[in-house]
Amino acid sequence: MPWTDEELVAKSISGDADSFNELVLRWERPIYALAYRTIGREEDARDVCQETFLRAFRALPGFRGQAKFSSWLYRIALNLCRDWVRRERRTPVVQPPEDMDLIEMAAAAEPSESIEDLVARKDLTRLVERAMALLPEEQRTAIVLKEYHGLTFQEIADLVGCPLSTVKTRLYQGLTVLRRELARNNKAKL
Amino acid sequence: MTDSFCGYTGDRDQALVAYLYEDGGDAGGRAPFDDHLTTCARCRDEVAALRGVRAQLARWAPPEPAFNLIDGGAQSARGNRSTQWWREIPAWAQVAAALLFLGVSAGIANLDARYDANGLHLRTGWMQPQADAAGGGRPASAAVVAADGAAAPWRADLVALERQLKDEVRTIQTSSRAETAPTAAQVIRASATADADLLRRVRAIVDESEKRQQRELALRVAEVMRDVTTQRRADLVNIDRMLGFVQTKVGVEVMKDRQRLDLLYRASQRQ
Repeated sequence: MPWTDEELVAKSISGDADSFNELVLRWERPIYALAYRTIGREEDARDVCQETFLRAFRALPGFRGQAKFSSWLYRIALNLCRDWVRRERRTPVVQPPEDMDLIEMAAAAEPSESIEDLVARKDLTRLVERAMALLPEEQRTAIVLKEYHGLTFQEIADLVGCPLSTVKTRLYQGLTVLRRELARNNKAKL
Repeated sequence: MTDSFCGYTGDRDQALVAYLYEDGGDAGGRAPFDDHLTTCARCRDEVAALRGVRAQLARWAPPEPAFNLIDGGAQSARGNRSTQWWREIPAWAQVAAALLFLGVSAGIANLDARYDANGLHLRTGWMQPQADAAGGGRPASAAVVAADGAAAPWRADLVALERQLKDEVRTIQTSSRAETAPTAAQVIRASATADADLLRRVRAIVDESEKRQQRELALRVAEVMRDVTTQRRADLVNIDRMLGFVQTKVGVEVMKDRQRLDLLYRASQRQ
């Protein structure tokens, strides 16, 4: 039976480096995805992800288990993302991967997916990325945490430090903006 | 449709979000909005539209991260793993790597540089073109210095090492056939000593070879410099000679032209 996060944390604190490696393996993709969707730059998301784990490792002895390890990790990552946005002083721009190659992707894609489907999917991804980039940071964060990380309203409220009702309002406002932008982009495409 | 009147009495936006994500606490808290939806077309439309947005959002996947933190940032957490891989390499592989390095560096060290009428030529390795083998177009000094692969100084060391290794293997085979079979501990100890000795010898050969290569390289560079200077002087003399020849030729041509002009002038005066 696999160790729980909390057990791995306890083992890491007692000096078992492999336990922390296990935690990294378990959480590196979600943290990277969170960073990418929040700041929208692949390279910087990678840096944020790495920095998150380094900070977590350094702060691990101080982790007393008041919150779940994942929540604690998310909080570190979100703070780093916020720092990044403030430092860069610009709206996050979501970039397509630099080495995006449709043919290569087509080869790697499911056999049932045609090139047309693949292109359509990439178009949609681009539309979503553009629409997400328009959202204010707090709305984007709420949507990312809810949609892609499955956090409850309460968990999001604890993470970002605001009332539960504010989280719901941010989600509603964010989704409404996305709805409008996606509809407009779809019309423009047609 | 969305312009129609909505008579929901609570906080509509929050209730709608809670309904959308099915995260509104207990079912009792959600019940009023569930009931409201059955009668309110505007809210139903909005819920459907926001579900559509969510469906689109679900297809947004970040690019695959081209990294592995375990090999990168979190390395400090796993101890000094980067040095361990070297320790795990067996002695024979280290010897092979050292020999490979020795061979490659020896090949590179056989630098053949020359400067002649065709310009500067650099060549490494042991390959000699046919023309050079016949001694054509190459300064005599460079031909003398260029080392022959068969006569390379490190080759003798390698042959000696190879012979020694064969002797050792033969000795081990002989001892294994003997009646008194060594214990596992003895074998491990003997093997470790032999490995250490082997490594020490290979390192000594590599060091010695490096020193030789440095000496040879310095010698070659000095010779190249000398050849360049000699060739440059020869080129300058040639250029000087050619210029003199051209000047003479031009002078003769000018004289001939003048004579022709004089002849024409005189002929025209006669007429």
